[in-house]
Amino acid sequence: MTNSPKTAGRINRLLAMLPWVIGNPASSVSEVCERFGYTRSELIRDLNTVFVCGLPGYGPGDLMDASIDDDEIVVEMADYFSRPLRLTAPEALGILASGKAVQSAGSGGEALDRAIAKLERMLLPEGTDAVVVDLPEPELVGELRAAAIEGRVIQIDHTSVASGERKIRDIEPWAVYTTLGNWYVSAYCRSANAERVFRIDRIRNAMPTGDRFTPDPTPHEAAIRYTPGDDDVHVTIRLLGEARWVAEYYPVDVINDGPDAMTIRMSVGDAAVAARLMIRLGETAEIVDGSEAATATADLRSRILERYS
Amino acid sequence: MQKVIERILNLLAYLLTVERPVTADQIRNTVAGYDRDNDSAFHRTFERDKDLLRRLGIPIEREATDVFEVEFGYVVHDDQYGLQDPGLTDEERTALSLAVQAVGFGGRPSGQEALMKLGGIVGSLEGTQLGADLGERADTVAEAFGAVSERRMLTFTYRGRSRRIRPYGLVHRRGHWYLVGSGTGADEVRVYRLDRATDLEIGDRAGAFIPPDNLNPADEVLHHPWDAGDRTETATVVFDEEVAWIAERELGSRATITRHNDGSIEAEIDVAAPAAFLGWLVGFEDKAELTSPRELRRRFVSYVEAG
Repeated sequence: MTNSPKTAGRINRLLAMLPWVIGNPASSVSEVCERFGYTRSELIRDLNTVFVCGLPGYGPGDLMDASIDDDEIVVEMADYFSRPLRLTAPEALGILASGKAVQSAGSGGEALDRAIAKLERMLLPEGTDAVVVDLPEPELVGELRAAAIEGRVIQIDHTSVASGERKIRDIEPWAVYTTLGNWYVSAYCRSANAERVFRIDRIRNAMPTGDRFTPDPTPHEAAIRYTPGDDDVHVTIRLLGEARWVAEYYPVDVINDGPDAMTIRMSVGDAAVAARLMIRLGETAEIVDGSEAATATADLRSRILERYS
Repeated sequence: MQKVIERILNLLAYLLTVERPVTADQIRNTVAGYDRDNDSAFHRTFERDKDLLRRLGIPIEREATDVFEVEFGYVVHDDQYGLQDPGLTDEERTALSLAVQAVGFGGRPSGQEALMKLGGIVGSLEGTQLGADLGERADTVAEAFGAVSERRMLTFTYRGRSRRIRPYGLVHRRGHWYLVGSGTGADEVRVYRLDRATDLEIGDRAGAFIPPDNLNPADEVLHHPWDAGDRTETATVVFDEEVAWIAERELGSRATITRHNDGSIEAEIDVAAPAAFLGWLVGFEDKAELTSPRELRRRFVSYVEAG
């Protein structure tokens, strides 16, 4: 049995709050509540806990003193808790990388730059730029993000990554986010009458239609998931030697993993995805089963070769 | 939970003030809240408390209580406990609060505990959504970060082999975290994709190495998969109007672009790893044409013909 994460969370907050109120005497209850995410009664409960703890002996001269006097917080006899705890590695990485991601995307400001410089001095050895987050923001991100907040309908000229199909669509942008190196906008697509996710680097241009919609105040889940659909193309592929990376890179079912070859089954939203993959793999892969993917591969091969003939 | 919190605060207060290693028995008989009668109950509780404090970042070390090393106790060294105050202003805390709201790891927000320790969260954290996700495997990246920040050796399994390296830096690019470092024997700097590294172990000694002069980890991680190789040649590719804008975005400023009147573009691209480059080119199907060098064009044709 371990102590619950709730206990850890409470102690973590206590050990963060105490140095602050010791270092900033006469802090008000409301300020401390806001800063450390307390409700008033939670804060009072934690101060009461502090009040009954202290050093061995546990008499009046050994216990910490914690009280609220005229809405000001008083903590005394607790010098040993006057310094904030050092950051753990996940905490340090989390805050530094978050700051650097926003900075790299160009949405930070001078205060963020200064904050990052201070964190780096505290956390990293001098000399090298040891943590780098490279997250360039495509030009349309700002416009789509603003449209999502303000509720403006946007017309996009979008080319599908999978099929290569180009369409003009009217969308109600919900959220803009980046994951696994790409930027996406999730939206209600008026043209398809359905929820859709678009890769922003495949939107050639975007402009407001003049229509408005009411933004949903609840946050949308920012994640890219493969969702199986009825129109999916299934293909079984035998991978030789170096082509095994496919099994790591794509969501696949491994059917057979032998010393010379591996057989996988994958589902893709469009046969063109399988065709491009097969051409890329060249001699190191062959289609075992899946006529639609095989036809698309043969078609793509002849189209490319025709251009080069 | 109330009793647990009181006991842990008492334990920490004791460890922070006693200034020498204290044995489990001393703790049991001194700190309020521990069971003095039942041996196994005490040890279970004490182990849990120690574990919790360590997870919060409190460095509880086990050390000999005297020079004869017959008895061991626990100690928190003053210099390792506290945060070295970076001196943030509230304006800077606000900027960091906003960044922490916007960025997550594997779908979870990250950095809020750090904000608390740095003086609290300034500004509202409600009603916002993650705008950027820095990927899964946050635990692996954090371990590597710990090694980089304290210059400790790092051992891990990569492509089926065990590696022991001097970790110089971490770079997040194209959706992946890369570790830049070099092996113990060789000076050659290498790059490892952290989502492929397993069984990470961090060395005991801090300050175990000094990175090479003028090393910039960001320069070591490729921008394009075809950047890695010994000999670079310049390939010329024509991209048709309908895909020209996609090619331009993917190439960024690292290619020389000439625009044609029909909307197509001609791009001159430095290629060091032809196989990776030709694979990328397949993505443009028949809407791109590699015009020179002739040898690379021939290679592309036979690559497409194969299979």
